[in-house]
Amino acid sequence: MSVRRVLGIALLGLLLTQGCAFSRGTLGDEIRADAIASIKKGTSSKTEVLAALGAPDRLLQVNGRDVFQYYRYDAKAGSLLLILVNFSRLSIKSDDLFVILNREGIVEEVISSKRTDGLEFRFWPFGD
Amino acid sequence: MPPRLSWIRHSLLILMLCITIAGCNVIRITLNTPISQADVAFIESGKTTLADVIGRLGAPDSITDSDIGVVATYRFLDMKYSRVNFGWLVKPWSPVDPDLIISRTGFGVDAFELLCDQNWVVTHQSFLRQLSGPRFNPYPF
Repeated sequence: MSVRRVLGIALLGLLLTQGCAFSRGTLGDEIRADAIASIKKGTSSKTEVLAALGAPDRLLQVNGRDVFQYYRYDAKAGSLLLILVNFSRLSIKSDDLFVILNREGIVEEVISSKRTDGLEFRFWPFGD
Repeated sequence: MPPRLSWIRHSLLILMLCITIAGCNVIRITLNTPISQADVAFIESGKTTLADVIGRLGAPDSITDSDIGVVATYRFLDMKYSRVNFGWLVKPWSPVDPDLIISRTGFGVDAFELLCDQNWVVTHQSFLRQLSGPRFNPYPF
């Protein structure tokens, strides 16, 4: 590809993305899938959970059991600043992990969901 | 009305509309995916377990204890904000930068809550506010 063509494409790209804004914000560390997988129901202890995931964001007492809660928030914002009209959309999703420990300090249940995987930059505020 | 006058009138109207639109901002903020009645229709009180719900909706945002059981909460938000600045209408002729702004925000904060018994079976379920979802409407009055 010629230099002129590359420059032309780059210039066109720059012109088309004028008036666009991308922003991103995160809260908390990523909850690693391999760390979650290493926690085994009925065998892993509280110490092993702490070694794999670190200290929890929240420590709860539920149904006579200790619950470690880990969370992470991810926010992506896209703006179209078209001089005439401005459109912005901010999407926020969270990853949550709950580790339920029994009275002996052994993992009884692991509840997790990763919502941030499908998070995209969106500009159009209408519709879904 | 002579055709020329009609043409000028239409042009002025379109120009005013364009200038008004020029002061428009439309913003939307969503937190998590809003849950609808249809999404939770599968839950049967006294039968469905929290594990079943998690299998369909994912992990809740919070789990708290109460005297009558465990409360699992799914939070979501669908905020819509729109704003029109009518000051743009006189901007071309005004020496100052005038503003006449109307705006409105619909917060659309909602949550779906589940009450589970000691065996993690759902006993009660309800939406917090039962919102139908706000609309983009800058008129605040």
